[in-house]
Amino acid sequence: MKLYVPHVGHMEGLQELLADPSKIHSVYMAGSPDYIGTGRTNLSAPTLESIAEQTEYAHEKGVKIDMVLNSSCMGGQQLAPEGYRAIRWYLDRLNDIGIDSLTVADPYLIEMIAHEYDMETVVSVLSFVDSPQKAEFYEGLGADTIVVDPVVNRDFGKLEAIRDVTSGNLKLLVNEACLYQCPFRYAHFNFFSHANGPGPKPNVMDDYYYYKCLSLRIRNPEQIIKSPWIRPEDLSEYKHITDMFKIGGRTHFIEWILNNVNAYYNQSYDGNLLDLLDSIKDLKDTFYIANKELEGAIEQWKKCDKNCHKCGYCKHLAEESIKIQTEDGNKKLSFIRNPEDIS
Amino acid sequence: MTITDSLLKVRTELEDNLRNLLGIPVYLIELDAFALPCGCSGATINIRGFTVDDIEVFEEHILKFLEEAALKLEIQPSFLFARLIPGTAEVASLNARMLCDRCYRDFARGEGKQPRPDIYVLKLEKNR
Repeated sequence: MKLYVPHVGHMEGLQELLADPSKIHSVYMAGSPDYIGTGRTNLSAPTLESIAEQTEYAHEKGVKIDMVLNSSCMGGQQLAPEGYRAIRWYLDRLNDIGIDSLTVADPYLIEMIAHEYDMETVVSVLSFVDSPQKAEFYEGLGADTIVVDPVVNRDFGKLEAIRDVTSGNLKLLVNEACLYQCPFRYAHFNFFSHANGPGPKPNVMDDYYYYKCLSLRIRNPEQIIKSPWIRPEDLSEYKHITDMFKIGGRTHFIEWILNNVNAYYNQSYDGNLLDLLDSIKDLKDTFYIANKELEGAIEQWKKCDKNCHKCGYCKHLAEESIKIQTEDGNKKLSFIRNPEDIS
Repeated sequence: MTITDSLLKVRTELEDNLRNLLGIPVYLIELDAFALPCGCSGATINIRGFTVDDIEVFEEHILKFLEEAALKLEIQPSFLFARLIPGTAEVASLNARMLCDRCYRDFARGEGKQPRPDIYVLKLEKNR
């Protein structure tokens, strides 16, 4: 099994992350937003000198370095002469440094990198590859590896079809935990891309998409269950698809990242599932889902046809497994839905 | 009790009250006391899972809870409002603010519950 692990982007963080590198195949981090941004929140903007120093350090530890340059929208700058020149200059420098792979979302950049550089070309999850047809398309552009859209993490028919039509590598993002069929997905990543890209940067009042994402789950917690995360214990169910698993969470503390590394490496986690999930980290103090109590749910999801209105399995599982965290202990979801139950 | 003890206690109490009232695990993500250069001071309660509909249906109860919370933080509950994400049903925060003279004039001139697209006034005591 190969684990691809998030890195916050500075040397001190990398040293802490790789204190024991035996469980980590590769780390990934964003580059400078001055050239190509990234489709997620990013806390650091390492200089080329820092990237070179960190790459050397990771390689000494036997760990690969992946740069995530996965803006889902660059406002067309990549197609303008000055934008093209800036991107090419930056990619040349990363190539000189010895970066192992580049993860990008824009099809133009995928083809450019595949044709012009020796670095491994990785199709970002923000290219939304959720079908064999899209996978074939990106492989045709020259991609070496595709990070599959997590929307199909529990659609084994699709995963198997993607595997069947591709000859390159497939990688699964295990803990992103976005809403299943999230309506905000494109708009939110485009917003992040501009907020974490070359600019002009939007001066936003509130991140509506994130607030709404949390609100939908608070008001309907079964959405947390439906979200297509993969439990550490269930990785073995995917061994006929791939052995490459990516952990999301570039903005978390190293301790959080290492907790995930241990959980997925050991394929076991005894605690709150929300400890492991990336996008809804703010809900880990509201909800408690005993990960071990979800044992066997994968069997239902393997045959799930995604007709939630006819099924109700996840709704029932949410009622059974999701606890509300309160000052005096964890209470079942029904605790606040039936206030007369308060003891 | 220190100010941080009070903030912790009030956050939990208000969250419990709202959850029991609404039957939804609304989440008070952060409770901050603030002081502004203009002279305003008060508390901001960032909240998730809470909507304008909840306020409209349960306004009387929510106002009472917020007044109690403000008083426990030694904030005179003369101006209480929700901050909305404009154009949506989402409430970003609940606020108790003791207005400076200049800001008082700005807010007191407004009319109705929503003098601005991002503000839903729960209570504004006007000077005579």
